[in-house]
Amino acid sequence: MSTGDANDSLRSIGVKVEPVSPDDIDAFTLNVLPLLHEVRHALERLLETGEPTVIDMGSIPLAPGEFEKIDGALGTGEVRAVLESMGPSQIYETQFSGVWRITHFNAANEIVGRFIEVTRMPEILLAQETDVRVGLDLLTRKLSGESD
Amino acid sequence: MTLLEFARGPGMQWALVIFLVGVVWRLVGSFLLARNRDLSKPKGTAYAKAGVRAMIMRSIPPHELEKNIQFQHLSGYAWHLGFFATLLLFGPHVPFFKQFLGFGWPTLPNIVVLVIGGFTLAILIALLIRRAIHPVMRQISTLDDWISVFLVIIPLVTGFLSYSHVEIGAVRYETMLALHILSIEVLLVWFPFSKLMHMFYTFPSRYQVGVAMERKGVKA
Amino acid sequence: MRKEQTLGEVLAAKGVSRRGFMKFVAATTSLMALPPAMIPKVAAALENARRPSVIWLPFQECTGCTESLTRSHAPSLEGLIFDTISLDYQETIMAAAGHQAEEALAEAMKLNDGKYLLAVDGSIPTKDKAFSCIGGKSNYDVFVEAAKGAAAIVCVGTCSSFGGIPAAQPNPTGAKSVTEVLKEAGIDKPVINVPGCPPLPNAITGVLAQYLTFGQLPELDHLGRPKAFYGQNIHDRCYRRPFYERGQFAETFDDEGAKKGWCLFKVGCKGPVTYNACATIKWNGGTGWPVEGGHGCLGCSEPGFWDWGGFYKPLSQGQWGGWKTLGVAAAAGAAIGLASVAVTRSRQAKARQEAKV
Repeated sequence: MSTGDANDSLRSIGVKVEPVSPDDIDAFTLNVLPLLHEVRHALERLLETGEPTVIDMGSIPLAPGEFEKIDGALGTGEVRAVLESMGPSQIYETQFSGVWRITHFNAANEIVGRFIEVTRMPEILLAQETDVRVGLDLLTRKLSGESD
Repeated sequence: MTLLEFARGPGMQWALVIFLVGVVWRLVGSFLLARNRDLSKPKGTAYAKAGVRAMIMRSIPPHELEKNIQFQHLSGYAWHLGFFATLLLFGPHVPFFKQFLGFGWPTLPNIVVLVIGGFTLAILIALLIRRAIHPVMRQISTLDDWISVFLVIIPLVTGFLSYSHVEIGAVRYETMLALHILSIEVLLVWFPFSKLMHMFYTFPSRYQVGVAMERKGVKA
Repeated sequence: MRKEQTLGEVLAAKGVSRRGFMKFVAATTSLMALPPAMIPKVAAALENARRPSVIWLPFQECTGCTESLTRSHAPSLEGLIFDTISLDYQETIMAAAGHQAEEALAEAMKLNDGKYLLAVDGSIPTKDKAFSCIGGKSNYDVFVEAAKGAAAIVCVGTCSSFGGIPAAQPNPTGAKSVTEVLKEAGIDKPVINVPGCPPLPNAITGVLAQYLTFGQLPELDHLGRPKAFYGQNIHDRCYRRPFYERGQFAETFDDEGAKKGWCLFKVGCKGPVTYNACATIKWNGGTGWPVEGGHGCLGCSEPGFWDWGGFYKPLSQGQWGGWKTLGVAAAAGAAIGLASVAVTRSRQAKARQEAKV
């Protein structure tokens, strides 16, 4: 049998791809609502006590499509930042002020961590003590001409 | 070998073998019992009709006794039906039967089976307590009665515990499932040598009574 | 990198900022399956962590576990963890071979005696000490020698944890798990089992990270598995669970139920008796896992999964012997019944005769 015949006979196998019905999608999305409630409680806590909350999205058994549903429900807000350190990290505020989505990538652009942070400002965006010291040191040296 | 491996392996094999040997032994033995020939002249000869009639009529409480035995009667029916509904209409049970029969059947949602199984268990426990405190029941109860009721309750209890996936100390789901399967295997082994044989005897014996009564000219 | 350096110093020397370190900590905490509330603790511990020596010995294995580990995230944060540990011997990925490799092993064992972490993949053949020898030495002897000087032993994969496929019936090589061999050799060392065929790469690196971070082994279950990864039941965490509850099952792999993504219990899924993190962490960088791919769980992180009577046999089925066996049982029952009838009838006849006399 030539390869052409083989391809034809493969094509003759009826492949049927069925779209998932809306009912079934709902069955898969059991995690979305509880997670949004968790975020709501975290926001309340932030207002009352100032205590921030971090939710590791890698610790939840998400069904196919749920991840997108959660992100869709959170939406996007006013702030968007990109951190470049050991690979990129995307940080943005969702439509609910105080609720942030953080995705860390490694140098190969693979996701290594996905978090929802409920806080006024994600700590990773703040300039860090040690980094400021390094920067101060560098600037001082530059100004005194040592770095040339 | 873990408990689950035993339950799904040699345990299941031996339970089925003992069950079959015992049941066939008892059925052959009792159906071929030598009976003395009845030399009297029959007063009626519609044996089949009388037999079938007895099978039906004796499944309904007689009018005169209806009030007295209503609870026992209804609860008996309820738990028997509940037990078989739980056994046959719970999804994960069907493959057990499918392995013998080669075909399966539609099942009920778990929540429905849970409610039915819950009622069944509640009735069985109520009947067990009644047996323990009712003076007459206690007098007429034999060891067979106690063991048989107990062995019917245990699969339901272990079934609920398996389903709920609770951890009781070191007993996790896999062990609970093993205990559930083993409880059925113990029931199968006990079956042929106990009153559970009524599953096979009830209707033939009612038929037999109907025939005997017809011969005597008694309408019963 | 020198051994005396702490991880904080290593990262600083590499020019990694504090923000980068915080990112590393967040990802490592997630990797170890610890709650985010632990992040500050992990940060403090990681900063001062020192580089442990790791010796990795392969025995009767297929290298699938190493594949799982090395193919998963190429130059990644986990890679950094590997930069941070001193992997002194790993046959598959080390450059040295032959005598040089054996010397490296001997030297690492001598230098770090009592302090190194021993990682083992593959089960250990015990029959005749004739199988899977390396340089004329039996796996058993190599292992026992290395185990004596180890601080702790990490069993990577089901084979070293529980015997796995080499120990499946009829087990021609007398393959045993690390725990069994240690018991036999009378060696008492902490063992941590990271089973799976292969294990989730996160579980392997997570355990190493845990050891690196806190210098101690994580909390284990009754089978010696870290609870963080093996504490949860696949069935309990399965996204297809709602179908199980509704009684909606795939009956075959190509029926309507299978296409609609219904529960795979009836096609042999062993999720209900399996403890692993596949449903949560997933495989291939979190893109999917076996059940999501439409195949039931095999139970690969459980002891003896290979001998459970078939991957496609539902849990509610078992050994019933076929109709032939049951037919023989029924025939035996009939024979006993007939014999008892014969005995009873002859007794009755005798009694009748005696009554007549």
